[in-house]
This record gives sequence, structure tokens and C-alpha cells, in this order.
Amino acid sequence: MAKAKTNTEDYMRMYRQMVRIRTFEDNANQLYLSAKMPGLTHMYSGEEAVAVGICEALTDDDRITSTHRGHGHCVAKGANFKEMFCELLGKEEGYCRGKGGSMHIADQSHGNLGANAIVGGSMGIATGAALRAKLQKKDDVTVCFFGDGATAQGLLYEVMNMAALWKLPVIYACENNGYSEYTKTEEIAAGSITARAEAFGIEAHQVDGQDVLAVNALTQKLVARARKGEGPFFIELMTYRYHGHHVGDINREYYRTKDEEKDWKDNRDPIIRFRAYLVDQGIASEEEIEAMNAEIKEDASAAVEYALAAKYPDVSEVDMHVYTDIKHACA
Amino acid sequence: MREITLSQAVNEALAEEMRRDETVFIIGEDVAEAGTPFKVLAGLVDEFGTERVIDTPIAEPGFMGLAVGAAMTGARPVVDLMFGDFLFLIMDQLCNQAAKTHYMSGGKLTVPLVLRTNLGATRRSAAQHSQSLHALVAHIPGLKVAMPSSAYEAKGLMKTAIRDNNPVVIFEDKLMYQEKAPVPEEEFLIPFGEANVKRDGTDITLIGTSSMVQVCEKAAEILAKEGISAEVVDPRTIVPLDEATLLASARKTSRVIVVDEGHQSYGVTAEIASRINEKAFYHLDAPVLRMGALDVPVPFSPALEDITVPTPEGVAEKARMLVAGEMIHAA
Amino acid sequence: MPLDVIMPALGMAQESGVIVAWHKQPGDAVAEGDVLFEVETDKATMEVEAQGAGFLTGVVARDGDQVPVGDVIARISATADAPEEAPEPEKDAGDAQTATDDLPEGQTVIMPTLGMAQDSGLLVAWMVEPGAKVDADDPLFEVETDKSTVEVPAGVSGYLAAQLAEAGEDVPTGQVIAIISAEAPAQTVTRSAKGAAPVAKAPDPQPAPQETKAKPAAKPEPSKARQPSDPTGRILASPKARRLALEQGLDLSRLVAAGVAQPFHVSDIETLAAMPAETQALAGAAAAASLHLTAEIPAEGVTAFMAWASDTAGLTDSGAVMAGLAGGCLDKARPVVAVEAFGQRRLFDVPGHNLTAVTSVEDATPDLILRDLRATRITGLHMGGEDAPVLSLTTSGAGLTLTLECAQGQIAPAAALSLLGDFAGRLEQPLRHLL
Repeated sequence: MAKAKTNTEDYMRMYRQMVRIRTFEDNANQLYLSAKMPGLTHMYSGEEAVAVGICEALTDDDRITSTHRGHGHCVAKGANFKEMFCELLGKEEGYCRGKGGSMHIADQSHGNLGANAIVGGSMGIATGAALRAKLQKKDDVTVCFFGDGATAQGLLYEVMNMAALWKLPVIYACENNGYSEYTKTEEIAAGSITARAEAFGIEAHQVDGQDVLAVNALTQKLVARARKGEGPFFIELMTYRYHGHHVGDINREYYRTKDEEKDWKDNRDPIIRFRAYLVDQGIASEEEIEAMNAEIKEDASAAVEYALAAKYPDVSEVDMHVYTDIKHACA
Repeated sequence: MREITLSQAVNEALAEEMRRDETVFIIGEDVAEAGTPFKVLAGLVDEFGTERVIDTPIAEPGFMGLAVGAAMTGARPVVDLMFGDFLFLIMDQLCNQAAKTHYMSGGKLTVPLVLRTNLGATRRSAAQHSQSLHALVAHIPGLKVAMPSSAYEAKGLMKTAIRDNNPVVIFEDKLMYQEKAPVPEEEFLIPFGEANVKRDGTDITLIGTSSMVQVCEKAAEILAKEGISAEVVDPRTIVPLDEATLLASARKTSRVIVVDEGHQSYGVTAEIASRINEKAFYHLDAPVLRMGALDVPVPFSPALEDITVPTPEGVAEKARMLVAGEMIHAA
Repeated sequence: MPLDVIMPALGMAQESGVIVAWHKQPGDAVAEGDVLFEVETDKATMEVEAQGAGFLTGVVARDGDQVPVGDVIARISATADAPEEAPEPEKDAGDAQTATDDLPEGQTVIMPTLGMAQDSGLLVAWMVEPGAKVDADDPLFEVETDKSTVEVPAGVSGYLAAQLAEAGEDVPTGQVIAIISAEAPAQTVTRSAKGAAPVAKAPDPQPAPQETKAKPAAKPEPSKARQPSDPTGRILASPKARRLALEQGLDLSRLVAAGVAQPFHVSDIETLAAMPAETQALAGAAAAASLHLTAEIPAEGVTAFMAWASDTAGLTDSGAVMAGLAGGCLDKARPVVAVEAFGQRRLFDVPGHNLTAVTSVEDATPDLILRDLRATRITGLHMGGEDAPVLSLTTSGAGLTLTLECAQGQIAPAAALSLLGDFAGRLEQPLRHLL
């Protein structure tokens, strides 16, 4: 997976993964709005180039930690639609047997240590995974995804300090989508975000998060250096979320304008931009791309249908998996 | 049998397990050359080096988070939390992350870590260095909680904890570090969830945890001189709890006092008393009494601090009343 | 003055040491620093050196002896044939006591608490000679704790007037080990920490952990006498006692009748089981012979009367009115009637037929219990005898049911019939009361 991204196949794969994320989210949004999906969910639409650009630079041995807005990371790291939709609907065949839901999908087989519903809650986990790699002399790298809102959490600074002291193979990927829940980032973040990492002596970069190739190129370089013990690194990815903080956050003009949203969608959409690039470079034709989009759409519909029909876990599972060695914790 | 201090017992257990399993490492503040302020870990860094006995900055949530991530990816960290009072600092990493990861991932991820910390008042350390907060973590499903009552238990439980695939919190009584007890030279483990009947008796059961086991034993000696036969039971782990042994003793003697150094209200004493009340009600000849620490922050002045914890005389006094059939809390 | 040779404390949790071998014999000349004997502790074998020069005398411990830490085992005297008998530590302590009074004036220096699990510190060496001038920052002595050796500065400037501990001694933290005087002292004091401990000790900053928890909370629950029986008539017994009584077919009310104090415990069940069989049979007969009578009346009469009494006669306390009506039926001059309603019990003195003279009283033994259950869903009951005859009022359809229950012997059957009949009549037509 982490070969040089210069050939057609890899470009097409990056495009495909971005479309898969967008398609997954469109379906999840519909499931939620049609009251078929319990709970709450946070859409990744608009930020696809971040997850795909980064995860395409990683192998299955490399780990990521994800956030409440985590469907994109999960897809980009290799997860299947079927198990993901089953999890979103609380079904037995979900990645977490329906126990985690939208905000806690973990897919260990692809190195996804799980989404975390505590803002900033996974920064320690990601850094700890990197500490383990160093102690056990493994060359895997861990990417810690978090948003601009999470930069206000103290834990980030505690773990960046240790990561820098011990040169841990971890990359802090700050997805700056401009809003911390319902508040503009400039109202919650003093100074520069990258300067905070630099204060610990951590090499920090800012990159256009809507440009999948730029994200991928930077990540490839940093991952290779982290494997050699040159970590940690910090990337601030400038991006935008198309939906509200969560699916129900519809009337959001009090914190951002419709014009602003329209501008990002029309002029900076990562999928539209990359599609134009692929056609322009003669890597794919419009027809090929349309066919791919249609196929993904069909895959997603089939997975949704499957998940809707799938069975819920048996009630006896309620006290299972509390402990590894006690089958039923409340027996 | 040779006698060693509780401190040496913990040190031996860690050394043996670190020799056996190279994924085990220690992380915390001043654990390496300093060997902790209580000197419990003295010498371990000489054998295992600073890569496995890792000094951290003073950042409890940070290193706790690192341990969770390392545990999730194949290491077995032993976290040293200098004082039990600092549990409040690491609650998110311990209770939202470590405790729930196995369950939220539907059994896919495990967090085999040990959190070593302490409890116990009367060291004249005042309210922020004297608390016994084990009930706090025992309340959270997914965590196991061990409470050694002597050097023997400290060693056997620590070895079991390190081999357990769940997050385990071990509370050592900081007043007992220099206390000696017979500990076999040969290897042994103490399984979790097996209470120890320290003394047989017929008239009343005294259930004690940690150093309160000694308090109960001393109370039993006082009572024996008066012709009252007290049974002393040490649960050894409060999660999992060996309910069967506690209930059997309650049914046998029909009177029970539960003694624990945590605050009495909403605490371990309340939990155990309640279970006995629910499951051995028709065998009780007296109300089950709780004796915990006074519900006040631990005061500094020795004159005040000493009256906040249960004492052998206090336990004996209550036991006498129960055996005499006096209604202690009659309306 | 001869120097005491004591069993030193060499380990953290050491209580005694075994003398492996003496290196000097009684009468031998010893120089300061000479090895006197070898001692074995839990950790190691160590050589103990002489603290001063002189002759070894008064040896009381032999090779192989186990000696408690702090015990004097020999002396170093000025002459080889020192007259003293074996050393007596208690006498020493006395000496120390007296000596304390002679201590020079000045600032005290204590054994500091340097480690976290530290109860005492091993004084490795003095770094200032007695009587010498010392500056606050000068290292005064060296102390070994847990794992490290630390030089402790004097803390105050002056002259080292007293050294109250010797090198090699394990001194409890907080104990005074030196005095620094402002003026050069005329004479200095040098001695061991052992004898002086009780006097010179600073006010208990860090008592030994074992002792701290041993102190009683000194708050014993006042020893209460057993409680009287429950006002609602429920027999109080422990869950186990109740279960055993049920299993063995024993009647707890026999214990009530026998005057055994409640609550009943398992020991009382043993008493009950041991009661002679005849008594048991008699009690059975008694139970069978208790009285249970019922009567039914329409409800309107009493309702209307209560309204009239309240509005016209100013009798607003319905409990007092009911007590008056019931008391009037009793064959007793001035009965006390207990009225139980809505979970409360009130006692009334009923001096005669005048309802306005009924007064509420405290602490009286009722002659009759009137249990007003009209506001409940209970329509019938069979409770057995209690301390006094019980008249219960329950609703049944549109009317009222009156139930009289008496334990055997409380009231003659004829009197019971009369009582219930009379009361039913008064409730039906309250004006009869005035007749």
C-alpha cells in the first residue's frame, strides 16, 4: 500500500477511497435523517483528502487513532462498508459487535485502534503505541488524528513533550476544519497551532488538506523519517467539514455562513479537484470515473440493505467483553 | 519461611515478571534511579535499564495514556502512580479509555496494563496525599482491583496482575512498605477473586481489605480474650469479588462488620454489606455494619487524622454490641 | 565516663541482631575504630567498631546470642578492671534523664525525615567536633536513609554544645541529636541517643505507623438498652431468628408473653425452643382462646356526628372524639385509649362521658387500642392478641366493620360482646353516647 504514489493504480485508489468516504457519509446521513440509525453521528464529508492522503502512506502494521468524526479514517485505513454499517446500526456483525457504534469503530486488522468520543482522548494512546514500537524495536508508525478543537486539551502537550523527549515514531495530524464544535477555531486557539508543536522541538508542517497529493507526499516523507527514528512530527491540515458538528446541527448560520460553505464545496472540494486532475493528466476518463462512482454507490446501497436486515446481538452479549477472562461479567 | 518487606515483595514480583516477559515495562515518575519516593522499585533499573524502567515528566494523564496505547499494541506496562490521590488526574485515561476499550471494540482490543498505586492515611500527609480511592475505580466496569494485605499478597497479586489481560489497579498501603511477612522463595501466584479466610471464628465475621485486615485480626484477638470468636476474611481483590466465601462466612456467623479504609459513604463497605444483606438476609442475626474512613478530607493534625480511620478497638467495640444483640442503629 | 557498646540497628525493619563473633576479649585495650564484634542482621553480616578508646569490660552477650537492638552488651572503660558490674540499661536511662537537665542551652537539631518511608536515620558520622564553631550552612553530620547518604547542614550558626547521638546509631526521625549554642560552651555533652530518647524527643511529628492506627477512635456507641416492642405491634426479630422460628414452628409471641425483650435474636429462639412442651401447648390453647368479634354498621351516622361535633361543639380533634366514644364503652372508671390512625399513635385520657374532657396524654399504658383503618384498603383482619384489646375500624362497602381482638384473659367473653355491641351502637347513633 505504501509504495510510491506515482502510478495510475495508486492515484485511482486514492480517488476511489475519497469517493467511498463521501458515499459512506451520504448514506449514513440518510440513515440518521430517516430515523433508521440510533444515536448521533459526525460527518467527515469535505475532509476526505486528509484521511486518504495520510492513510495511503501507511501500511496495515502502522496504527492510527481516530476521533468522533472517524468514519473517514476508518474507510481510508481499509475497513469494509458492510461491517461499518452494521456497527452504525448496532448489529451483531458490526466491527465491534454493535457495542461501539459510530463513535467507537475499531478495526484492528488494519491497524485502526479505534475512534474516540472524548475530544483529544486518543493522544495518549497513539503516543503509547509509538512508545511500544520503539521499545520493541519495530518500525511501525502511529498517526494520531485529532481536530483543531482538541488542541485545547492539556493531554496533547503532555504527550508531545514525551514523544519529543524520546523521539517516538508518532505523527500528530491536526485536522483544522475551522470549527471547534459550534465555535470558530480562532476563538478557541491562541497563537499558532504549529508553533505549539515547535515549542517542543517537534518539526511541524501546515498543508492544504483539500489536496490529496500534497497530503500524501508530505506524509510519505514524514513516515519514512519516523521509521528511522526522526519522529515525532506534527501536521496541521487545513480542511473543512461540509455538515454541521453532528448530523442534527442544521441551523448553523449563527457560526458560519452558507456562502462560506458554498465556496468550499464549489471551489475547494478535494474530490472534484482530484477528479479534474486525473482527467487532465489522462489518468482516467470521465466515463471510467462515473463508472467507479456508480459502482461505489451500489456497494454502499447493498451494504446498507444488508445492515438494515442484519440481526442485533443476542441480549446475552450485554455483559460479555467487559473482561477478557470473565465470559459474563454480571453472571 | 523467610520474611521480606512488602516493598521487597513488590520489587521481586516486578523483577520476576520482567525477566519472564520482555514486553513488561515500568513507567512513571522517578521510577528508575530514584526507585520511587518509597524506594519500592530500587535496583530494578540496574537490571532492566532505562528502556524498561522509564522515568517520565510529571504528567500523570500523559504517561497513563501512553501506557494504554502501549498495552493496546502488544506491551504490558506497569504504571507507577506515586500517590493514589493522583487517580483524579488520570480518570479519563483509566476509566474512559483503558476500562472501556475491550468492551467498546466488541472484544477485539485488549489493554493488559497494571496501575500500581497506594492508599492509606496516618502518614501525616494531609488531604491530597492520604486518600484511599479504590472504591472509585472499583465502580468502573472493565477494571480489576487488587488490595494486598501483606507482603505475601503483594507479591502473588502483582504477578497475577501483570499476567492478566485486563487493566488492573493495585493499591498498596503506603504504611505497610516496611512490614515483613513470610513469603516463599519459590514462585507463586495468587488468583484474583479468591478471598482468604485469615482466621476462623463462629460468632462474627470481620471482613477487611488491605491494612484493615490487620486491624480486623487485632480486633479478633481482643475479642478472643472476651470469649467472642471472630472470623477474619480478606477478599484480596474487590473486583472480582469472591462473594461465595464472604456469604458462606456471613451465613456461618450470622453477624458481619465490613472494614475498609475508603470513605464509608458509597464505598466498598457499603457494597459488600449490601451484597450480604441481599444474599444472606435470612441468615443474619444482626444488621451488617460498615466501618470506613470518616467522611471528611484527611486532616493533617495527628490528633485529628488518627480518629478518621477504623481501629482494632473500634471494631471490637462494634463487634461486642452486635454479639450482645444490641440494636446499634435502632430508630 | 565509660562508653556503652550497644547492639546497633543496621536494617530498616530490624529488631535484633545475632553476635557472630567478638573480636576483642574482656579486658582487651581497644582503640576508636577497632572492630569489636561481628553482627548478623536480616541482610548481612557487619563489623561493629568501637566508638572510643579504652578497655572492653562488662561483656554480657556471647557469640551466637541474639540481642535486641539498642541493648547495651558491653562497655569501654578507662581501666581494664573497671569496677562496674554488667551494664544496666535502665540505670543508664535514668542517668540520661538526669543528664538532660544539664543539657546546654541553645537551638536543637533533630534527625530529619528525608525519605518517604523513613522512620529513622542512621547517623553515619559527625562532621563537627564538640565545642567547635559551626555555621548554618556547614555540614553538621552525615545521615544514611533508605538508599542514600546525605550531609545535613547545621541550620543555625553557633557552637556545637551537645552531640546527643553517636555515629552508627539509628535515630528516630524527629529526635533531638544536637544542640547549638550561641556562646562557646563551657563544657560540651556527648552521648548516645538511646537513653535520652524519651526526654529529648521532639513533639511526635511522625509516629511509627503501627502505633498510629492502633489508637481507638474513642467514640464508642452508647450502649443502648434493648428497645421496647414496636408501636405498630410488629414483633421485632432478626431475619435469622424469624426464619428459624418459622422452620421450627415456634411462636414468637410466646417470647413476648414471657417478657423477653425485643428484638429477638437466635439466642432467644433457643430459649423459645427450650420452653417446656406444656407451656407450648398451653400457649397454643391460649392462642386458640383469644377473642375475635366483628360487627357491621352503616357509616353515615358517625360521619354526620363528626361533622356536627366539629362545626357545632368545637370538637375538632376526631381522634379525641373517637377515643371518648370508645372509652365510654369500657368497664373502667378512667380508661386510657390509644388511637392509631395514619401510622400515628396517640394516647387519650377519657375521664367520663364528656367528650370535651378527653385530653391527649403521654406515656400511659392503654386499656384499649382503637385502630382506625377507614382510610386504608384493609377490609378485614385477624391479627391475634396484643398488649391490650384492639378495636379496629375498617370500611366494607358503604358501611363500617368493627373488629375486636383480645388476647386470652384480657377481657371476659361477655364483656367483649358488650364492649363491641356498645361501641357499634354509639358509632351508629352517636347520641347514644350522651345517654
